[in-house]
Amino acid sequence: MANKADLSIEYLGVKCENPFFLSSSPVAGSYDMVKKAFEAGWGGVFFKTVGIFIADECSPRFDNIAKESTPWIGFKNMEQISDKPLEDNLQAMYRLKRDYPDKVLVASIMGSSEEEWSELAKLVTETGADMIECNFSCPQMTSHAMGSDVGQNPDLVREYSKAVSSATDLPVIAKMTPNIGNMEEPAIAAIEGGAAGISAINTIKSITNIDLEFKTAMPVVNGKSSISGYSGAAVKPIGLRFIAQMKQHPLLKNIQMSGIGGIETWRDALEYILVGCHNVQVTTAVMQYGYRIVSDMISGLSYYMEEEGFEKVEDMVGLALPNIIPAEELQRNFKIIVDIDHDLCIGCGRCYISCFDAAHQAINWDFENRRPTINDECVGCHLCINVCPVLNCIRPAKIVWKEDWKITPEEINFKTRYE
Amino acid sequence: MDRGEKRLSKVTAKNQLQGKEIKKGYLDEAVHGYNTRTAMEEAARCVLCYDAPCSKGCPADTKPADFIRSIRFRNFKGAAATIREANALGGCCAKVCPYDRLCEEACSRTGIDRPIQIGKLQAFAVDIEKKFNMKILEAKEATKEKVACIGAGPASLSCASRLAREGYQVTIFESFDKPGGMLTYGIILSRLPQDVVDFDIEKVKELGVKFVFNTKVGQDVTIDDLKEQGYKAFFIGTGLWKPRKIDIPGADLKGVRYAIEFLKEARSSKGEMKVDGNVIVIGGGNVAMDCAATAKLLGAERVTIVYRRTIEEAPADIAEIEYVQSLGISIITKYAPKEILEDDGKVAGLIAAGTDDFSELKLKADMIVFAIGQEAEDMRKIVPAIELNENGTISCDIAKGFTNIEGIFAAGDIVNGGKTVVEAVAQGKSVAESIMKYLSQKEGVN
Repeated sequence: MANKADLSIEYLGVKCENPFFLSSSPVAGSYDMVKKAFEAGWGGVFFKTVGIFIADECSPRFDNIAKESTPWIGFKNMEQISDKPLEDNLQAMYRLKRDYPDKVLVASIMGSSEEEWSELAKLVTETGADMIECNFSCPQMTSHAMGSDVGQNPDLVREYSKAVSSATDLPVIAKMTPNIGNMEEPAIAAIEGGAAGISAINTIKSITNIDLEFKTAMPVVNGKSSISGYSGAAVKPIGLRFIAQMKQHPLLKNIQMSGIGGIETWRDALEYILVGCHNVQVTTAVMQYGYRIVSDMISGLSYYMEEEGFEKVEDMVGLALPNIIPAEELQRNFKIIVDIDHDLCIGCGRCYISCFDAAHQAINWDFENRRPTINDECVGCHLCINVCPVLNCIRPAKIVWKEDWKITPEEINFKTRYE
Repeated sequence: MDRGEKRLSKVTAKNQLQGKEIKKGYLDEAVHGYNTRTAMEEAARCVLCYDAPCSKGCPADTKPADFIRSIRFRNFKGAAATIREANALGGCCAKVCPYDRLCEEACSRTGIDRPIQIGKLQAFAVDIEKKFNMKILEAKEATKEKVACIGAGPASLSCASRLAREGYQVTIFESFDKPGGMLTYGIILSRLPQDVVDFDIEKVKELGVKFVFNTKVGQDVTIDDLKEQGYKAFFIGTGLWKPRKIDIPGADLKGVRYAIEFLKEARSSKGEMKVDGNVIVIGGGNVAMDCAATAKLLGAERVTIVYRRTIEEAPADIAEIEYVQSLGISIITKYAPKEILEDDGKVAGLIAAGTDDFSELKLKADMIVFAIGQEAEDMRKIVPAIELNENGTISCDIAKGFTNIEGIFAAGDIVNGGKTVVEAVAQGKSVAESIMKYLSQKEGVN
């Protein structure tokens, strides 16, 4: 695992040794925790949000979504901002920057009025933090003057971004809530208010499970529960989408983004970089596995860059953006017909069932030999490839043109399966 | 801890690492069951086949594909119902079925890595039935004809269950004092705990089936007596209980034992029976493996299995062979017993001849257990005019169970010459259909 490329990247003018950050959350709540994380290799930390408001937490406060044998596909968290005294948090941030000057420390703040935002900005600037992140997005605050209720309102976002930017010289980042249809609006408002960067996404308002005994959401807190933030692998697709849409907006395309949502591996992190992030933030995977996961992120990304010949992380930022286009612009004049490898086939018939029940009845089933074959009805949807339990058993076999005009097959790039 | 024990604990630890979690006590079940989480994990491995081969692989039509899908979609009670409706001895079959030759052999997942552990999932579902005290089967009011089932083993229990559900008045006559037959007397507890047997039988009793114990039909009561009492049809499911013997010098010495009576004594003693010294077991089936494990777990110093064919040819399940090996029992193949050596009227050793006609084996022994199969007792004592095969089994159509005598049916080991529990269950079930048809139409003479 020794492979280490130069993963450094500049973010809002601050040099970061790598793009891997802890997000402002339970994983970055004290000096000792962050110290251990830095030593494990994290490039920086968004310290757990501080405020004048001190959180009083419930017990229990987490739940997770499991799919068959895989737990933590999604995770629900009811914790709010820091429950420690503001002074202790400022002290911890000061000591961290003093003891780890090369690591990047972002102070995350949350106020409930212009005055509070301004005051918090001044206080954290004095700790020596490198940047300030405005938390406009925690979905489980017990005060409605705070959190995602603010992030859904572009006017408040603009106003508070301005209050913070005016009170500090540090770069200001606005952290967005995904509990909204169009993230561009509050993001543009934040930039208008003086923010330099955008972080997205915070957690998604959720009810993960309903308990059948107490007939309330999970986790059950003395017979009751609340809607709160959802994170983990399940939310990566949503995070990627918000980032890509913001980066494709003319007013936001040059804004540096910090990607958050379902990142567990170097590959997840890279995907956020490819849709335009300069760094990524991780919480849920650390809650599940610990700080140590960063070593495989560093190593894995280094191997990828070596394989692909990238010298700098910066060179990969946004590479996927030109290829994510509106549905109406997709080429639709061909279909890719599949073929089934009868030697690899285990005869389970899953492709046959799904093709019949959910697609185009394009697979025939040989009861005697337990083998499926593709008939003339195939439209190239590749549902069969998605359900087949055997790797590479069903493969794209030929391109069929819908119209007379053609381009040469070499020009068709396609892929169905994410491995 | 002596070297042997150390080695044994090493083997056990290794097996635990491989997820087999083999235990060593006579009263302990050898394999741990699933909990809801591990059952879901295993069910998630299932590829949920179309026209599933596993279900076709079950002789008793226990529908593994259906109950695994129920588990996968978190309908544990539904899984339990599927099993109980199809198989009156679903709990026992879950423990003793030769899966590697039936449903698991057919499993499509084998094409990717290894089959789904169907038996363990079945046991999990039956545990759910027990935990929730489910009443899955319902019997119609018992207003139909009286039927007598002879023997309280798997074939009879399965047949009786089916008949009782349809409203027949069924009584099982059993010569021993407990029901279950081979399930209760002829299998080691580590493979089949008694509570599993008792639970399945309880389910048969709940259907209104009556049991008469300590009653040997043909001796304590005759078919004619029973006809006088109003029984209209008879089902013979007595099984095979007479040990097969071979005639070699020393075969009648003290210390020569036969498998079923040996296992029965051990089970009846609840593990209190003492075994010591050197024990040799002759045979290569599951019964031989059970005898060897029983001897070892009850205190024998050294246990050796001597089998006349190769290990590949041994009819024992691979899991049972691995289990005895994990207990430190060695299996010597391709030797047949030639002579039992004597010391003071008791067994002192065994001479076995290699099947290569050259090698010879001489082993010290304090006890020799023959586990080379069972034969039929004299069925004419039950029904004087019944037609028998050369080996003493009852001559009849296996699926339909008609004997040469009107109103008398048979199934299980006494017909098929000794096969698996699940086959006895399957035959008992299908012969019940014949009996119902016979009673409703009064047809059925060969």
